[in-house]
Amino acid sequence: MNTAAWLILLLPLFSAVVIGLGAFRSRKASAVISIGAVTGSFLLTLLLVAFGGELHPSVTWLAIGGLQIDIGLQIDQLSKLMLCVVTGVGSLIHIFSLGYMKEDRDFSRYFAFLSLFIFSMLGIVLADNFVMMFIFWELVGVSSYLLIGFWFEKPSAADAAKKAFLTNRVGDFGFLLGILMVWAALGSVGFADLAKSVSGGTATITGLAGFLIFCGAMGKSAQAPLHVWLPDAMEGPTPVSALIHAATMVAAGVYMLCRVFFLIDGTWAMEAIAWIGGLTSLMAALMAVQQDDIKRILAYSTLSQLGYMVMAVGLGSPDAAMFHLTTHASFKALLFLGAGSVIVALHHEQDIWKMGGLRDRMPKTYWTFLIGTMALCGVPLFSGFFSKEAILDVALENNILLFFVAVFVALLTTFYMTRLFVVAFMGEPRSVHAEQAKESPAVMTVPLLVLAVPSVLAGYFYAHAPNPLVLAASLVVVVFGMLVANTLYSGAKADPLPAKLGLLAKALRQRFWFDEIYQWLIDQVQENLAKLADAIDRWVIAGLLVRGTHGTTELAARVLRLAQTGNLQTYAFWFAAGMAALLVFTLS
Amino acid sequence: MGDQLEFIQLEVMVVALGLLVLLADLFLSESARRSLGYLAAGSLGLVFLLSFRGGYTSLVDGEAFGGIYRLDGLALFFKRFFLLTAIFVLVFAVDFASRLRSGVSEYLAFILFALSGMMFAGSANDFSLLFVAIELITVTFYILVSFQRHRMQSLEAGVKYLILGAVSSAFLVYGIALVFGEAGSLKFDAIRDAHARLLQNKVFLFGMLFVFAGLAFKISAFPFQIWAPDVYQGAPTPTTTFLAVGSKAAGFVLLIRLFGSVVPELTEQWTGMLIVVAALTILYGNLCALPQRNLKRLLAYSGIANAGYLLMGIVAQSDNGTAAILYYLVGYLFTLVAAFMIINLVTREGEGEDISCLAGLNKRSPFLAVALTLCAVSLAGIPPLAGFFGKFLLVKSVAAEAFGNTGYFALLAVAVFGVVVSIYYYFGIIRTIYWSKDTLDNSPVAIAWPTRMVLGLCVAAILYLGILPDKPINWANAATKIETK
Repeated sequence: MNTAAWLILLLPLFSAVVIGLGAFRSRKASAVISIGAVTGSFLLTLLLVAFGGELHPSVTWLAIGGLQIDIGLQIDQLSKLMLCVVTGVGSLIHIFSLGYMKEDRDFSRYFAFLSLFIFSMLGIVLADNFVMMFIFWELVGVSSYLLIGFWFEKPSAADAAKKAFLTNRVGDFGFLLGILMVWAALGSVGFADLAKSVSGGTATITGLAGFLIFCGAMGKSAQAPLHVWLPDAMEGPTPVSALIHAATMVAAGVYMLCRVFFLIDGTWAMEAIAWIGGLTSLMAALMAVQQDDIKRILAYSTLSQLGYMVMAVGLGSPDAAMFHLTTHASFKALLFLGAGSVIVALHHEQDIWKMGGLRDRMPKTYWTFLIGTMALCGVPLFSGFFSKEAILDVALENNILLFFVAVFVALLTTFYMTRLFVVAFMGEPRSVHAEQAKESPAVMTVPLLVLAVPSVLAGYFYAHAPNPLVLAASLVVVVFGMLVANTLYSGAKADPLPAKLGLLAKALRQRFWFDEIYQWLIDQVQENLAKLADAIDRWVIAGLLVRGTHGTTELAARVLRLAQTGNLQTYAFWFAAGMAALLVFTLS
Repeated sequence: MGDQLEFIQLEVMVVALGLLVLLADLFLSESARRSLGYLAAGSLGLVFLLSFRGGYTSLVDGEAFGGIYRLDGLALFFKRFFLLTAIFVLVFAVDFASRLRSGVSEYLAFILFALSGMMFAGSANDFSLLFVAIELITVTFYILVSFQRHRMQSLEAGVKYLILGAVSSAFLVYGIALVFGEAGSLKFDAIRDAHARLLQNKVFLFGMLFVFAGLAFKISAFPFQIWAPDVYQGAPTPTTTFLAVGSKAAGFVLLIRLFGSVVPELTEQWTGMLIVVAALTILYGNLCALPQRNLKRLLAYSGIANAGYLLMGIVAQSDNGTAAILYYLVGYLFTLVAAFMIINLVTREGEGEDISCLAGLNKRSPFLAVALTLCAVSLAGIPPLAGFFGKFLLVKSVAAEAFGNTGYFALLAVAVFGVVVSIYYYFGIIRTIYWSKDTLDNSPVAIAWPTRMVLGLCVAAILYLGILPDKPINWANAATKIETK
């Protein structure tokens, strides 16, 4: 069983290395290796879930004197669930990519990066200590950078990749500080050791440490104010959006919070986490209402749902958060892949106002997308219904204000998803591409169909007694949201909202000017700091220190070279002189 | 006598193999001779495996020929090290055969004879065997260096090595004579007992210093390093590899045995001198490498610098220091073999080994580009590769002894400075591979499969030694427990 656990982690790494080193030239081999690795990990995960109990294999990486660094895998209920999500959804998305990336020039590079990403993500899931988790945390950042910027010749993609990486680094800086504070306070970074010392009741960490750790999650799970990278990250290939920016990487933050929940529980950080989650979810849902790009709508919806999960953790229920994470992973991956299928069919058209009438032209995509939408809106009996219920329940019990926020977000969610669905799939085609759209090949539709299954059923695995008030509220908002959106958008040629809402619609469309504000801040603060740093670098460091040292070293090198004349007599002379010098040095 | 021969069975096999290669040359056709090198390498592989046989390892900690020849953990470690080196060099020599023009079989046989000299050196427990082993190595190398008789450079390198080698042999034999005069014996065991009372005896010290000079020549330590760049550059590349790895390691096994276990008190007395030699060697090698454009010459200077790092292990005067030397040498073996093989594959006969020939290597052969990059990074001492860990152990061994001796701290500072300087020229190699615009030649590089195997093995070893250093450290530690009677 321990071998299986190691293999789960190492198979994708093996695939990334092999593709990177050798098979880069063969498209087929790369795809086969990469898909084989991730499905292999998936099967092994199932094996672990079925037969393995709680495992904790660990090896000492190196031990020199007093310093010992371990690499260990923690396999328990939590990581098993996450393993299923990552490898399961990951496998389907790998297969879907076969169709989506079919015509891409750098097919092999794509699969190498994808494998690298899966490896890094699994590392976060399996890590048994903060240091290891942080290493893989950064690796995920790198591989997501590579994948977002996959089409690096497009300036917008390259910019988006940079933005994602830098924004994440801001969060990671806090995370690292948090880890150091935990280490300083409790003297350990292993989760098992930490749990032991915390459960003893004697040791705790400060709220600040908890909040700093949350900063890491803020970056990866795109919580306000570090949310700005996620919508731009949609510049990457759509399967990547589905894998990284819907199901796995962005869930890493939530997963991490659940993993170390025992640490932050009871500190003031919890309050902050709950509010940041709630506000992110509200803000993102508002912004989603006025987006026209199909992937961006889904991106904002992801932000909003992540806000839900973070809020659930902050309110003290990691169970509800993980439950929603799991259902969300399947239906949001489904929605993204559905969007991918539409985008391919429409020759990379992403504006929903240029779609329409896809219902008859792409029936499989239509039906699966409908299932995904229903699940996301929380229509009863679909998976999203149950997990959203769980979160609303927690909110009602703990914080009534946040409960109202959450219900309002649910309303908005139903509204914008219905808008998206009605505009893109119903009515008449509004462009030539939409008119000529054809259903995608089986390699793309089969993953859609497979993902539709958990999108419906995943909710039934969580025993939960519904609160009648919550039930009523969520039913009302679903029906109300759908009705309003349907009335507004059915048969509409353009969005009627801007005319009605005026400035508010503009604010939503411009995403509350977050990017502009950041830009201004960066211009004012960072530019000036950079100028100062540049001056120091140019004159003091490069001028005095580097050039000074370099010049002296170079000069010494040239002088020494003079000794190397190539003349044998000179050499023999140096020999004798050296001997004489040694004699004088030692014997005098 | 029969059980005496048992001790030198590996050496006998190697010499016999050399003779067989010479004989086979008479009977084989031109085409069959090509694979003779592979055959010899395979046979050496067999000898290598035989060194693990229980019948042989049970002899460890025994002596033969009246205590002249000693087989202990250290000797065994180095015998295996030399065998491995020679296997790689033989495979390399087959690649190189077309450039030798004539006498390929003789070339192979001389490699084997030099190998037997190195293996004897590993077991030398007496000045007479030490001298004979060293001369066996040096004399065969005179020939190996000048083997490309049609190239002026090769001949010139041969003559330089011959004359400077002769000077150093003169130092060595003169030193041995003086030591014999004062200690009254050539046996290491006798000198070990006698040397405590000779510490103030100027003649004895004189003699030991000359012996040190003779060995310092082998490892190309300052101030006896001056031959290395010219000879490394002019010699056929497999010879250079063998010289840089095998011959240097032979010098080190003798230094370890002599200065580590035979005359430890003298070594302590000479700590200051050793520190100065090590520091100057590091500085000289790294500084001279900076403006270098010729790859073989660059590696020669880098080899000098590495000799300096290795001397730190002697300076430390502890088991940890010795173990660090062994660890570092093993990493150095794999790195240099890979680096020289790649340089040889990339350059062509007649062209210089200018650094610019690496331009565009990442397009010509991604595998070679990655492998050479790993070598450069490892030599620069950047984690997580073999070179980093070796340097780490060496520095650690010196740092562990550093309290109470400011000279040690100075040496550490010099070592760190050297590493920083070296990053500049090693990364120059990487920059040329990946970012140089002026690509002269875009043809893919053809690699024979045994060469590919050796390269793959080297890359794997460089990674293994860097990432999972636990086991190799244990082997090195086990080998350093030198029994002193």
